[in-house]
Amino acid sequence: MQQFDVKSIIQTSPVAHAQPRDSAKWEVINSMDTAVQFASAAIEDARKKVLGVADVSCLARYGVKGPNATQWLLERGIAIPTTPNSWTMCEQKTLVLRLGSSEFLIEDQLGGSACSRLASDTNRVASVYKVPRADAAFIVSGSEALNLLSELCSLDLREKSLAAKDLIMTQVAGISATVIRQTLNGEPVYRIWCDGTYGPYMWEVLIEIATELGGGAVGLVQYQSS
Amino acid sequence: MKLLTCPMNGTRPLSEFVFGGEYRQAPDQDTCTDAQWAAFVHNRSGAPGDKKEWWYHSPSGTWFIAERNTLTDKVTSTYLLGQKDTTQEAGK
Repeated sequence: MQQFDVKSIIQTSPVAHAQPRDSAKWEVINSMDTAVQFASAAIEDARKKVLGVADVSCLARYGVKGPNATQWLLERGIAIPTTPNSWTMCEQKTLVLRLGSSEFLIEDQLGGSACSRLASDTNRVASVYKVPRADAAFIVSGSEALNLLSELCSLDLREKSLAAKDLIMTQVAGISATVIRQTLNGEPVYRIWCDGTYGPYMWEVLIEIATELGGGAVGLVQYQSS
Repeated sequence: MKLLTCPMNGTRPLSEFVFGGEYRQAPDQDTCTDAQWAAFVHNRSGAPGDKKEWWYHSPSGTWFIAERNTLTDKVTSTYLLGQKDTTQEAGK
């Protein structure tokens, strides 16, 4: 019987079924086949200024919860947001989202290594539980980003309502999602996470509205670099 | 749009919540009679009035208690189980 090494399996982005296989450029990032370019750099740049939507599901994630999760992360050098429903950056390359009083989502941006470091620590610690993550993740940016979100979300996501380090868990396009506002390369963007099985649906909804408003799909390299 | 206040996430549209049934304290199963246990399992009070109810904020996975008058549909307070002292007044 043929043996497979699960670590060598190339995953496909949970959003892939909704993305064009032929016209987009695909690359394997973090062992995940991901669409990294949808049009020429000039077109993507123009889309991004109006309303760019990028699939960043391939970024490495690590979920952990439990009464001792905060202490466990602090001992491993992870900066922790002080209050639930907030986020912070750790070592410039790692997003740390505090989803509750004792639940965290760590996401390495391209070039970050915190998640692999945490995952390699296989010692079991009392009251610390790993939470498997299979998120679809998106970046939405551009001058029309708020108009897109106002069609999909009933909460006010403007700067005066959604503070810089606030995290909200709400419904976007009718499904549960986590949303933050962040400044990437000097540009305000919204980050959205939802369950991976909803990824194609979320992508289709975002792209449909983005296209109506003059934007469209852009590759993640427009926002992230290692 | 109807609104409900989650004690962890703030005021949100009712569509983000799932009703979890009335909050009822089970009788001590070691000491109660069969009749008391059967009444707990099978009987519900449908009379309108002030009730404690379980509600679930589905985007964040938060279960909490809402005190609601089922006649007027007015929610007077919401709080995490066992944390009534930190009650948030509904709608604030």
